[in-house]
Amino acid sequence: MDERIEKLTLMASQLRRDVVNAVYYAKDGHPGPCMSAADLMAVLYFDLLRLNPEDPSWIDRDRFILSKGHACPLWYAALARRGYFPPVELKTLRVLGSRLQGHPDLKKTPGVDANSGSLGHGLSQACGLAIAARKRGSDSLNVVITGDGELNEGIVWEAAMAIAHLKLTNVIALVDNNGMQSGGKVEKVSGLYPLREKWEAFGWYVVEEDGHDIGRLLPVLERAFQRGRATREERQGMSLLPDHLRRGRASAGVPHPDQPVVLIAHTLKGKGVPYMEGDNSWHKRVPTDEEHQLALSILGGQDLE
Amino acid sequence: MNNTSSTRVGFMQGLEALAEEDDRIMLVCADSLKAMRADPFLEKFPDRVVELGIAEQNAAGVSAGLALGGLIPYFATYAGFITMRACEQIRTFIAYPNLDVKMVGINGGLAAGEREGVSHQFFEDLAIMRSIPNITVLVPADAGQARQAAKAAVEIPGPVYIRLGSGRDPVIFDDKQPFVPGKIHILEQRGNDLVFFCNGLMIPRVLVASALLEAKGIACTVVEVHTLKPLDTEAIVELLKDCRAAVTAEDHNIIGGLGSAIMECAAEHCPVPVARIGLRDVFPGSGHPEALLDFYGMSVNDIVEAAISTINRKPNPLPNEE
Repeated sequence: MDERIEKLTLMASQLRRDVVNAVYYAKDGHPGPCMSAADLMAVLYFDLLRLNPEDPSWIDRDRFILSKGHACPLWYAALARRGYFPPVELKTLRVLGSRLQGHPDLKKTPGVDANSGSLGHGLSQACGLAIAARKRGSDSLNVVITGDGELNEGIVWEAAMAIAHLKLTNVIALVDNNGMQSGGKVEKVSGLYPLREKWEAFGWYVVEEDGHDIGRLLPVLERAFQRGRATREERQGMSLLPDHLRRGRASAGVPHPDQPVVLIAHTLKGKGVPYMEGDNSWHKRVPTDEEHQLALSILGGQDLE
Repeated sequence: MNNTSSTRVGFMQGLEALAEEDDRIMLVCADSLKAMRADPFLEKFPDRVVELGIAEQNAAGVSAGLALGGLIPYFATYAGFITMRACEQIRTFIAYPNLDVKMVGINGGLAAGEREGVSHQFFEDLAIMRSIPNITVLVPADAGQARQAAKAAVEIPGPVYIRLGSGRDPVIFDDKQPFVPGKIHILEQRGNDLVFFCNGLMIPRVLVASALLEAKGIACTVVEVHTLKPLDTEAIVELLKDCRAAVTAEDHNIIGGLGSAIMECAAEHCPVPVARIGLRDVFPGSGHPEALLDFYGMSVNDIVEAAISTINRKPNPLPNEE
């Protein structure tokens, strides 16, 4: 486990470095919202998701949707490092003719399984994908990272209601709860909270975790993935958290076997690059030459070659 | 023309036949199973129905997901709740990735919405769907054509919008009349003084008008345009070349639907005077469908008058002819 955690921690830094580089070369993009989700993405793409970069359209792959599509430099970085295309291509972000569009386009980018960018649409598409997976008897999972700001959108709750109603336990939702949206703090802009109670009221089992502590994220998500692939019988009485983690915040008891699971990941916008941390001007902003160099020296890792 | 048959039932019969042959066919509803007359389908294929409640945006997103998962969803509910409530979901998540989602809008038109009033009379749906890339737009004329359109849509790659009516829809064509997407359908050729381009339940009215006009010495051609997009431009231009004027007739706003499509085609390829019969950019109201069409400028008399005034319109003189 320790080796896995160490590898994923290094990869999360690498993905952050790739984001800084991509946005720096594009002279455009949203670095702050990428940084808060980087640890989640490392755990998903470099440990848990069942993928085949050699055959991106393999029918039984897990489907991942980055519902907060403006953070796509992070998605592109994960796909590049996972082998879907060369990392150097990240330099073409947002350039005319590039496969790396300003917001995700499944027709252009290998490994992108669903469009996003217009906020709130990840769960709806995951719901359809999950129904399709059930229908063909596949145990592939449908995993969504949604922002917290985008939970303002009504369609998110239409989808949340439908997924719970249809008992689609093969959907796993992760909320990148960095507490900020474009216009400022979520509680100031939109009155989002209480968040856990909202998900519970819509029929979901909620786990809350530090979204930057890979040592805690990995076991809980690994368990969620096992549960997502399990039969209904196996899910009976299956707890989500290993005992040593149960002190973390979660819904009461064990999830009902028909209940979908959402992880609320407490995160920090800009995490990993000190001058971006908690500064919402980095929602969409391009690092200067000095800021670029500073970020690279802090993050370590490899360049885009 | 008192004989009626439901376009909704016709469509569902087509879908049922399709579902028997193709395991990928799904019906997606937004508490619209009853409105779609889908009970027989549900009984026969309970696993092929996805009911999502009164939540059309989610239904569009779920349809996208189903298509991404290799299925062929038919998302069916009221035309306006699809094309307006879920417009952006259709545009960015279905049309942009060119997914195999078929959308089926009922109460298309003011006559189809009839007694329900404006909230359920959808006379903008075709304009909206036509303005989004990748979407094929079909307007079957009656129940038999709707049955065929359900099956034809699956042969068309990418998103398709099928417009249906109230469920009390006039029978216009013989059941054997084929429905060929993408092609205009010439209904009668009395002569080439004027060409009528029409669709849906305006067809019978146009045919009556055409007969009246012949008695007045104006010989017309009547053409059904059931595929608004892609428009059969080549065949339409051929007809425009030989006529003096054209009139369009549709149960839709005169902006953005068939009238606009024909005018764009004429202006670009073969300018002839064109008049549009349709709802004249106002909000209608409740009423009997035939009375509504008469009241809102779509009567047989309106069609005849539009034809006469258009054919008498003089083209603009060229500057050097002054």
